[in-house]
Amino acid sequence: MKNILHQVGQLFQKKEQMTVPFKLIFADFKKILNLNNQILDLIADANDKLSGDYIFDEQYIHATCHQLTDLVRELIVLINHLTQQKYSDLYNSFHHIEENIEAILQGAVLCPVKDYILPYASITRDLIDAVGGKNANLAEIGSVLGLPIPEGFAITTAAFSLFWSENNLEEEVAAIIEQWEQKTLSDEEMAWKIQRMIFDSTVPAKLEKEILDAASNLSKGKQDATPSFAIRSSAQGEDGVFSFAGQYRSCLNIPLKNIPQAYKEVVASLYSPEAMEYRRRKDFRANEIKMSVACQLMIPAKTSGVMYSYDPVLPEEETLVISSAWGLGDPIVSGKVATDLFVLDRQPPHEVKEVQVVRKEQSMNLHGSGGTGMEPVREEQRTQPSLKNQQLKDLAQIGLQLEKYFKKPQDVEFSIDQQDRIIVLQSRQLSLQQEQMPRASDLTDIIGKYPILMQGKGIAAMKGIASGPVWVLEHDGDLQNFPMGAILVARYASPQLARVIHKASGFITDIGSTTGHLATVAREFRVPALFNTENAITLLKHGQEITLDTESLTVYEGIVHELHYYTFHEEPIEEMYEYRLLRRILKKIEPLNLFDPHDENFIPQGCRTYHDLTRFVHEKAVETIIDLNFYHTHQRDTQAGQLLWDYPLDLILIDVGGGIEGEHDKGIRPEQIRSIPMQTLLQGMSHPGIWDMSPVKVDFGSFMSSLTRTPPTRSSQPEDIGRNLAVISAEYTNINFRLGYHFTVIDAYLSDNILDNHIYFRFSGGVTDTVRRSRRTSLLNKILSHYDFLCEQHGDIIVGRLKRMNKKSMLKRLFLLGLLIGFTRQLDVKMVSDAKIPVYFEQIKTIMEESHGK
Amino acid sequence: MASEQTSILILDDEPIVSKRLKPSLEKKGYKVETFTSSADALKRIQERQFDIVITDLKMDGVDGMQFLTEVKEKYPDTEVIVITGFATMATAKESFNKGVFDFLAKPFKLGEIAEVISMAEEKIKNK
Repeated sequence: MKNILHQVGQLFQKKEQMTVPFKLIFADFKKILNLNNQILDLIADANDKLSGDYIFDEQYIHATCHQLTDLVRELIVLINHLTQQKYSDLYNSFHHIEENIEAILQGAVLCPVKDYILPYASITRDLIDAVGGKNANLAEIGSVLGLPIPEGFAITTAAFSLFWSENNLEEEVAAIIEQWEQKTLSDEEMAWKIQRMIFDSTVPAKLEKEILDAASNLSKGKQDATPSFAIRSSAQGEDGVFSFAGQYRSCLNIPLKNIPQAYKEVVASLYSPEAMEYRRRKDFRANEIKMSVACQLMIPAKTSGVMYSYDPVLPEEETLVISSAWGLGDPIVSGKVATDLFVLDRQPPHEVKEVQVVRKEQSMNLHGSGGTGMEPVREEQRTQPSLKNQQLKDLAQIGLQLEKYFKKPQDVEFSIDQQDRIIVLQSRQLSLQQEQMPRASDLTDIIGKYPILMQGKGIAAMKGIASGPVWVLEHDGDLQNFPMGAILVARYASPQLARVIHKASGFITDIGSTTGHLATVAREFRVPALFNTENAITLLKHGQEITLDTESLTVYEGIVHELHYYTFHEEPIEEMYEYRLLRRILKKIEPLNLFDPHDENFIPQGCRTYHDLTRFVHEKAVETIIDLNFYHTHQRDTQAGQLLWDYPLDLILIDVGGGIEGEHDKGIRPEQIRSIPMQTLLQGMSHPGIWDMSPVKVDFGSFMSSLTRTPPTRSSQPEDIGRNLAVISAEYTNINFRLGYHFTVIDAYLSDNILDNHIYFRFSGGVTDTVRRSRRTSLLNKILSHYDFLCEQHGDIIVGRLKRMNKKSMLKRLFLLGLLIGFTRQLDVKMVSDAKIPVYFEQIKTIMEESHGK
Repeated sequence: MASEQTSILILDDEPIVSKRLKPSLEKKGYKVETFTSSADALKRIQERQFDIVITDLKMDGVDGMQFLTEVKEKYPDTEVIVITGFATMATAKESFNKGVFDFLAKPFKLGEIAEVISMAEEKIKNK
């Protein structure tokens, strides 16, 4: 297929070079621009779906992927058509990405990294497919919530795949499973055969070395001369939606040299009869299961225990239950030893409501030679409580923090180490007894009893329920006094507020956007956030207890416990299969790895996502048009030249009819431009005063120069020159600007016939920091909307459309776009706070009124 | 609303749709039953009337168009809301000809469907 396209393309291209008028080439170019826009919009739309606000199904994911695949393919065909197959390598990159996407759609979990080992510090939720649920959860508890966890690393699914392939296990295991599914093998036979094969396999040498190196690194600098390790399972799905608790094996107190053997044991437990049956029942696809393993430094625990953030039998008591005993946690979890019981109030300061101290005869401890064993507890310790009062309170705080983050009541395993620190070993969802939950039908009545303080105002930046006392922010400096568990109420959704994300139950602001930095952070930390309420700061009083429900945009007076219980029923959207699938897929679509066209990686082979491909093609399309019409002998039907301007903007103008007047061999002076839209845009861009608004004195000339000019020594190379292109005619302008990392596209047509008039404006940012980028997009949105543009905002892309206005009104708005093009670039420097948005809005308005009247 | 809850039947063969819609609508005080098989949903509507029926169009077995036709024939007062990932002019037109209340293209926002439902509810009350 590829070859045929290639040949046809070349034949066509050869002919085209001689005869095809620019009009047709430009038509291709416009098609590319169109596809480019469609693709970026689709990607942004898909990203929006992850906000939790949408209901989407698997069919949507499939349809979107296929649509994107078609559009990107078309884009690649077109650019090759335009360039005589110069970029046919794009097909390879494209097919590779497409294959990956198809595999993910079919349910395959592709390890997102090649690393065999990932230290906890480098693990985020996005790596769950590489490290498994338990590792990802634990690493997040450490890195996001800042709680102490065991030191350790994950042995990834990439390592598993290597182990599997080097030992040729895939086919043999598949064959055994098939026999088991056809019931020619019993559960036990199947498990025995597969596990036997795994035990007989060897851990590949390079993997073994990496594991042992990483493990010895963990123990470096530790007092313990012979450190030992805990090797635990962290399979896909474990600790996530499905709890495979207890299905897989953990090996405790393993000496360094025995880690590879323990690794095999843990991997083999993937094929226990129970685990196989469980997965079959839960409809887990065979290729969705790959075992990642946790390797942790063993904690010689003084005390271990389990904490429930709610009493699972009596949640309405609003208590938190902790049971603990001396030594390691295993016998506590499996109920083999008697445990002390503590019941605490869930509300700070977590008053201890009930204590039952039992006689503890035995505890599990580490054996010097490796492994563990039961030992008698020293007499004087037997009747002592295994946790101190302060430890109980600290634990309660940790429990609530975990519950807030994971949005469900939590079942937490912990140990107290020799330095009396609380170490979180694991946290997973706790099921509460169903009957205790309010029935949905009663819920509205129950909630109706709570007074409503605010309703229907604002936008949800993060969905969820939060309760706590209001804490009104007066000055940024006050943030250090922010109390644990309060709801922060502030005027602006300023990025500074993210500093208290660990402590806040929720955020409410008068002003703020869902694409801002704080919104991103709130989603990351899953803290409910309601922005743009206009006047929450005056409606809500400092210290007042409230419940915030961002889904219904309501703030209740008091703590609405029933609402919390009810939401515990709901499966968090982040854990649904479709959500996981979309996230996985977007990894192959959305990230942009190609930024700088001068980078050596800016080649077809460097494209790793659809976004990369799109970006590459757009860049090359603009380059090709400039190249064809300016650097080479251009077609007879066009005129081209570089704009000679007071401001050194590297702009190539291509005139397709009546856009330029007079001689232009040495360049085109602005007064030669007869294209009305182009003229007006340039007037806006060069408007005096617009540049005086900068607090930092930056003059337009040097400023634009730094962004759009490459050093003159290199300007003999056409491909090194700025890629700013304008295709114009008397009534038409199509502009592609790349200023720094920002892209501006304008397509405008204006004539005396109102029905034909249109302006399309598209602006997207690049690699600047998200905070200022989102402020800039908000400002643009505000300005454009004020001047009647129909605006769409997706992340940092903003698109404004305008149609069917008379010539005078259209000209005024083109002038505005001219102002904005220059101005927005500077905003990166100037958008130091959200408060600047209305300031700059007013300044732009003033300039507009001075130049065009009210 | 306290006196009589509005009853809603949701039929979509993709379970996630019901899984997400049900809790959100129950919280608003609706009585919700959900189905992923059109045969089961058909059986259920033989047993009782629902105030509002929300259905997908394209499903295996009895398709949504057939289902909503039966619903409308049996209970002309029931308001039907169509949700579909394959929205075309033709299906939209056909749906409206059958007396469908509204037509929503998937994916949609929770707020959008809530608004449509409350409008349907309003219409039922004013009958």
